[in-house]
Amino acid sequence: MDVKLNIKRFDPEVADPQPYWEEFTVTIEDNGTVLDALIKVREDSDGAFSLRCSCRSSICGSCAVRINGHAGLACKTQAATAIKDGVITVEPAGNMPVIKDLVVNFDSFWDKINEIEPYLKPEGPEPEAEYIASNEAMLHLSDVTSCIMCGSCFSDCTVLEVDPTFLGPAALAKAYRFTADPRDGDENGLSIDRLEELNKPTGMWDCTRCMECVTACPKGVAPMERIMALRDQAMEAGFTNTNGARHTEAFSDSVEHSGWLDELRLVPKSVGMTNVSALIGYAPIAIQAITHGKMPPIIHKKLPQSKNVGKIFDKVDGPEERGRRR
Amino acid sequence: MLEHDVLVIGAGLAGMRAAIAARAGGATVAIISKVHPVRSHSNAAQGGINAALTDRGDEWEDHAYDTVKGSDFLGDQDAIEVMCKAAGQALIDMEHFGVTFNRDDEGRLGTRAFGGQRRARTFFVGDFTGQALLHVMFEQLIKSGVRRYEEWFVSSLIIEDGQVCGVMALEIRTGQVFAIRAKTVIFCTGGFGRVFEPSTNALICTGDGSALAFNAGAELMDMEMVQYHPTTLAGSGVLISEAARGEGAYLLDKDGNRFMEKYAPNMMELASRDVVSRAEQTEINAGNGVDGCVYLDCRHLGEAMIMEKLSQIREIGIDLVGVDMITDPIPIRPGMHYAMGGIRTNVDGQTNLPGVYAAGECACVSVHGGNRLGANSLLDTIVFGERSGNHAAEASRDSDYVEFNVDQAVRNEEKRIQDLLDRPQNGDRIASVRLGMGESMNRNLAVYRNEEGMKETLGDLVELQKRYETVPVDNKGKVFNTDLIFALELGFMLDNATPIAMSALDRKDSRGAQARTDYPDRDDENWMKHLVIKKGETGPELSYAPVSITQWTPEERKY
Amino acid sequence: MKYAFFPGCVSRGGCPELYPATKLICEKLGIELQEMPAASCTGAGVLQEKNELLGDTLNARTFAMAEALDLPILTICSTCQGVMSQANHRLKNPEYLAKVNGFLAEEGLEYKGNANPKHLLWVLIEDVGLDNLLKLITRPLAGMRMAPFYGCYIVRPTDALEFEDNPGRETALEQIIETIGATVVDFEGKTRCCGFPILTINEKNSMAMVGKHTSEAKDLGADAMITPCPLCHLNLDSFQPKAAAQAGRDIGLPILHMPQAIGLAMGLSPKEMGLQRHIVNTKPLITQLGVGAV
Repeated sequence: MDVKLNIKRFDPEVADPQPYWEEFTVTIEDNGTVLDALIKVREDSDGAFSLRCSCRSSICGSCAVRINGHAGLACKTQAATAIKDGVITVEPAGNMPVIKDLVVNFDSFWDKINEIEPYLKPEGPEPEAEYIASNEAMLHLSDVTSCIMCGSCFSDCTVLEVDPTFLGPAALAKAYRFTADPRDGDENGLSIDRLEELNKPTGMWDCTRCMECVTACPKGVAPMERIMALRDQAMEAGFTNTNGARHTEAFSDSVEHSGWLDELRLVPKSVGMTNVSALIGYAPIAIQAITHGKMPPIIHKKLPQSKNVGKIFDKVDGPEERGRRR
Repeated sequence: MLEHDVLVIGAGLAGMRAAIAARAGGATVAIISKVHPVRSHSNAAQGGINAALTDRGDEWEDHAYDTVKGSDFLGDQDAIEVMCKAAGQALIDMEHFGVTFNRDDEGRLGTRAFGGQRRARTFFVGDFTGQALLHVMFEQLIKSGVRRYEEWFVSSLIIEDGQVCGVMALEIRTGQVFAIRAKTVIFCTGGFGRVFEPSTNALICTGDGSALAFNAGAELMDMEMVQYHPTTLAGSGVLISEAARGEGAYLLDKDGNRFMEKYAPNMMELASRDVVSRAEQTEINAGNGVDGCVYLDCRHLGEAMIMEKLSQIREIGIDLVGVDMITDPIPIRPGMHYAMGGIRTNVDGQTNLPGVYAAGECACVSVHGGNRLGANSLLDTIVFGERSGNHAAEASRDSDYVEFNVDQAVRNEEKRIQDLLDRPQNGDRIASVRLGMGESMNRNLAVYRNEEGMKETLGDLVELQKRYETVPVDNKGKVFNTDLIFALELGFMLDNATPIAMSALDRKDSRGAQARTDYPDRDDENWMKHLVIKKGETGPELSYAPVSITQWTPEERKY
Repeated sequence: MKYAFFPGCVSRGGCPELYPATKLICEKLGIELQEMPAASCTGAGVLQEKNELLGDTLNARTFAMAEALDLPILTICSTCQGVMSQANHRLKNPEYLAKVNGFLAEEGLEYKGNANPKHLLWVLIEDVGLDNLLKLITRPLAGMRMAPFYGCYIVRPTDALEFEDNPGRETALEQIIETIGATVVDFEGKTRCCGFPILTINEKNSMAMVGKHTSEAKDLGADAMITPCPLCHLNLDSFQPKAAAQAGRDIGLPILHMPQAIGLAMGLSPKEMGLQRHIVNTKPLITQLGVGAV
């Protein structure tokens, strides 16, 4: 089958280099992948077209690119399903500077991985034979260790798009791989130092829960879910002095006691009821809201039968259930 | 001046293990790789890693015998003993580093059955054990602080008066040429799979190390022993792990019969790989296949088990051939997979060139002899990677850098590269020369070989080498010039191809992976020996080396 | 057509213009809305972060209530929709469903697994049909250029949102814009995040997101942005001045709730649609429409 590709290219060695689009038409097998097509471009049309690729079977992570605006592995994407309005649009991965054509600079990606100390740190003596650990724990970790560091999540992260200092989905998921490993940290597997670091600004609380990383990940790692799990671990470990932790608790309390969200009180509770400067910072918006009739009701009425909601909280999230979840 | 006691070339499992060991041994170490370490092809190993753990009632001698038999008695028994004795500790080391191995009900490391092993001693992580080990090794490499040259391409080895001085390397991102001095060099560059088309191997498996070493005067050994893996996908050649068969999958002909009964009535689908591949090829040749394939059937294993232990290969089946192994059998056929042969080394990774070591798939110790058992490769890389690293660190303690004219070396290499870039555009394209080589090798050096076919390929290779001399490079730039890299790699691949074909033609028996229709029997009297090949004045020269036999007398191999 | 109406928390709180606008256009569309006063908050992803099972139980409770009314659920918030779809997706597992029903038993509720909550956006495309919507458009917004802003939860993850079986959902908002007579302004930010979830956690980044997406649309010539999510609306509208200040530029892009835009095209007045409540001045839009002062 013939496929038409529209590729965003870049040559750093011309005078005044700018990205430009170039179209190619190549012939591949009917069940060929986007990577097969890209390799054809390189082999038959233009040897100067650069991209990273190696294994062709979604395990090395080299070929992460944006196909039709969304990051993924070229070798895992069937060309036939990627055709939109007669063409497959291919661009380099996002949030990373372009070196040439589809090759991007991964330095910031690796810097962030390094930042989270990505190696097992068991406290206490090493056993002679293997650490004893449940298969359940290992299978759970294997979902996260499936990460092949391809950078797809990093490419499409909406927080990294506006804030390059964010640790990012890959590094945070990798950090979770250790905090969830019973061999990392103390004898109960609690990695308190890691959680303390990840709890700080640019860490776990900066994720905006947009699910781009979950969508982009070709290996089912679901980085956002791992970040949520980190938040849970941090709060359990007693790290509750963050806006994020307070926000979650306040939200939860509101729903537990009234059945729905008390928006008005959520904001001050998140920043801290005694955080005068932050509260003052909201004053102009509050005034605007009042004058425009957008202020949520001061008296937050409970929903009918809200007691039943509270009971569900007790049953599902009570101490017994939480103990079982651990 | 870039200089290190130990320079490891290649950052797959063997390379990273060697670097970490050398660093622990107190040497200054650097590791250089043409791709980022986690992109290395060790990633693609799926099934598991073998070890005999004494606290399970297993004996290293049993593992060793299985390996010796699997090698069709061509493996050096002293080296096999070293590997199998070290396996238990190597496994525990990996677990301590953090590998998330599968566990049994008591929380201890769990096993699965695997080809050619009489008891289950393959430890695994789902069906992506290689990737699991590779990433943990990379974590440890970061922790060790070893200097990394990532995306640097080694283009030549510098030898002065028979001594290794270092390497010439191209920083791919900038195109700049550097000389890196080293007292010892360890090749961990992996296999030469792309010499064949198709192959399970990644595009980066171009035999760079074996070519560089060979061209510098190192001996290669057992190059004719090329493993065709029984279960590879038609078209792309991508691997479907032996783990499927380890968990109980069947091989079926077009009528749904388990044909392995005819060839290996005891071990059936879990006979050694060469036996299974030959069985499949025979069935296909006899017309019992479909479109050149037979079937791998996992349906009876059930969805739950497939999702827990074989999920990655299921994804590959869906992504690349549109088949879901939960509901349908997958069409597979034998495909080129692994190089048992390579740079000849002793059990410490030393080659015949002083200061030059090799470990992993690019080396031939030999622990795999004529055929490698599944899950022994991951073990090989870790055991011999560690031993090479240790030995090289030790050796570099008592040696000095060999002097050479660095500026001249850099200028010479720059000129060589510029000449390549300046070639006129009217030669054959790189891809067409590569395909010509790959197709010829896959036609005549595959599961069944004969004299006529191999001679044909040798003739083809002479032609291809000529065509290679005028292959143009489209990209004249410096930044990330992958075209230039491909041209250099093609040269390395051709350098591997001829030794493979020559050795196969010379060996007049069938043993392990070499199956000749004109010499169909194993001839221990004349051919119980290694074929060694070395660069000579007028071309590669063959010689022979004895096989080390310690405990196990060669016998007829039946599964 | 009758639906069990789930307005969500914000449309009764910080975006009170959305609720009446919705009711008015539903009247015109012949959609009857039956309230479920006891239905709780969906959890908005925040509760799920803390305890997914808890969130799923609360949503199953809502689903069970709708089943008891024998009515399908209609939502007007991308976030409510996304959270409900994700919960429903997980509840397809019979063992999990049984576990959750165990918690609902005391209240006498049981979720049978048949809910199919739909956002008004999807109801219009799938249940009402764009042809029928078009018939009610008496004042097409001709000449008005509108940038669609979906809201993360109504475009990801595609399996829980059943995009494969309902391919129209991927471009639903653009189809609505065209049906009401306006021109679509395509821009990169249309499926990105508005920053609302991190408003109180990292305000700088939240404002940067608002600034980036509204600026992009504005610079591409949009007269307004339209969104099916009141949480996005809160950020994109109420916080736009702050975002503009941080970005060091003017933006001034009016943000419309989807029902408001549809209502205007149906001939309802800006006042009925609650446009006077917006923080970013909607007068330029109204002038463009030619319907006099609010």
